[in-house]
Amino acid sequence: MNKEEGKRLAALSFTEKIELLEKLRDRSLAFIEAREKLAKKKKLGPDGPKSDPVELDGRPP
Amino acid sequence: MKETLETINRMQADGVIGQYAIGGAVGATLYLDPVATLDVDVFVMLPGVDRGRIVSLTPIYEYLTKSGCQIKGEYIVIGSWPVQFLPPGNLLEEEAVYQAVQAEVRDIQTWVMTAEHLVAIALQTGRAKDHSRILQFLERNAVDLNKLSNILTRHSLTSKWANFKKRYPNE
Repeated sequence: MNKEEGKRLAALSFTEKIELLEKLRDRSLAFIEAREKLAKKKKLGPDGPKSDPVELDGRPP
Repeated sequence: MKETLETINRMQADGVIGQYAIGGAVGATLYLDPVATLDVDVFVMLPGVDRGRIVSLTPIYEYLTKSGCQIKGEYIVIGSWPVQFLPPGNLLEEEAVYQAVQAEVRDIQTWVMTAEHLVAIALQTGRAKDHSRILQFLERNAVDLNKLSNILTRHSLTSKWANFKKRYPNE
């Protein structure tokens, strides 16, 4: 974020900033959830429940 | 956040907590551009508790669980936000609660620590993310340096501030 963008955001009302904060939080939570799912799949390995191999290592089987 | 603040205000009106102030990243959002955070830090005075006594948050947890809120580790989820209730750990935090400013979120009144107190507490805490927040306050000219200097002197934080300024000389 450049300085001008930062200043513009800083000038928003508290309500508007909290709304942005909630969007940022939801995005972070979705990212954490996806990362945890991926880690779980990797841990289970090939004998674990069926999973999409492309998601595991980024390459087709 | 509306539901979160309404619940905290109701808890205050019911006498479970005394004065309170939002601190941390959500508090800083009043003065700065929003930075992602997953929880809300609420500093609370507890009625009838003398300074220096061991503080129990049980009345808060009981009140909120009866209202249907769920406890998740050190947080209690109110509305969509995990909230951490923190009794002031020292005089600086206590002063920050008493001198908090009123703010409004979706027509709900709430209390937020002043920018100067947020900076002083961040300096006292001293983690990398706290330093980063202080730099943001300075960069945005969001802090009254005279007021800050007064707080830092009263709470014996001037040497920490000098070290901080030495570490980040361009700010």
